Amino acid sequence: MQGPDRTPARHGEYKVPGGKLVVIDLNLQGNLLSDVRISGDFFLEPPEGLDDLNRALEGVAIDTPDAQIIARLNAALRPESEMFGFSAEAVVVVLRRALA
Amino acid sequence: MTPSDSTLSDKPTPLPPTQWRDYQWELLRTPALDPLMHMALDAVLADEVAAGRRAPSIRLWEWTRAAVVIGRFQSLKNEVDPVGAQRHGVEVVRRVSGGGAMFVEPGNTITYSVYAPGDLVRGMSFQDSYAFLDRWVIDALGTLGIKAWYQPLNDIATDTGKIGGAAQARRGGAVLHHVTMAYDIDADKMVEVLRIGKEKLSDKGTTSAKKRVDPLRSQTGLARDVIIEHMMQTFRTQNGLVDANVQAHEWALARQQIEQKYGTAQWLALVP
Repeated sequence: MQGPDRTPARHGEYKVPGGKLVVIDLNLQGNLLSDVRISGDFFLEPPEGLDDLNRALEGVAIDTPDAQIIARLNAALRPESEMFGFSAEAVVVVLRRALA
Repeated sequence: MTPSDSTLSDKPTPLPPTQWRDYQWELLRTPALDPLMHMALDAVLADEVAAGRRAPSIRLWEWTRAAVVIGRFQSLKNEVDPVGAQRHGVEVVRRVSGGGAMFVEPGNTITYSVYAPGDLVRGMSFQDSYAFLDRWVIDALGTLGIKAWYQPLNDIATDTGKIGGAAQARRGGAVLHHVTMAYDIDADKMVEVLRIGKEKLSDKGTTSAKKRVDPLRSQTGLARDVIIEHMMQTFRTQNGLVDANVQAHEWALARQQIEQKYGTAQWLALVP
């Protein structure tokens, strides 16, 4: 459902234990993720990896198994990418929170 | 995998190719700068070190005005209360490194950047490189009577609370490592300009952002300048350090990058 002012309708936050905060904002088009925006106080090299992660979730069906989404996120990152303070698993946790 | 590969993997992690003392470190001190100039200079100076045009350097930050500096990946809306920021005349800028938002007022923080060649930390985990690049600061605080340590991932902490936080960005062959430590803090103002959610504090053992930070002023009773001079002296003794200046072409590049990047609405709202 779209928020009235076109701000993303779903929002989730997850503080990785011993790591950093991961936030997600998104809309749903039917059962598909759309307008996915991951943010937080984590570290990611190179920084363009954030777009890779957002794109990897775009259009994904909400009933996709977690393991598949994790694999999709990891595959989307460039080989030299490094995540520090979060992980693909953490992104899925925050995604599930946003959808709950 | 060849037999020699497996033999190699049994050896301890090799030391990085270079050590602090392999470089002539330069200390850069400037007059107070606008928040945007700090953002741009960090990018420019790191890139100049990466290109081999500048010696590895340390820069001390002084501020012309109050600022909130948000991390590269933070949502502007989630982190900053625009009404509170405007009411207190706080400028909001986005930096090139990840990590969390910081609230600074002139004279209230000790902020510095280390522009290091990547070789100095090559082969280290990110985690190890944070602690390694601030070892001299931990030592400096120790000789001032403050037992501080690196609290993973990126905090400098003492028994009584967090003192500061570090952030890194890898830029080409260089590492930008910058740190802000609280010298004094207007915690009431801080919570009016920053939005600090409960989730963020969930594993910090406190429910209050105000209580989380214990600044250097209350911990040492020393003037800010005294702490800074002691830190620089510690670095000088351990690694060598000569006074130097930001060069004219570096200022020019930084001004250009403010205009084209760091001062634009697109960059500030990169993550809206």
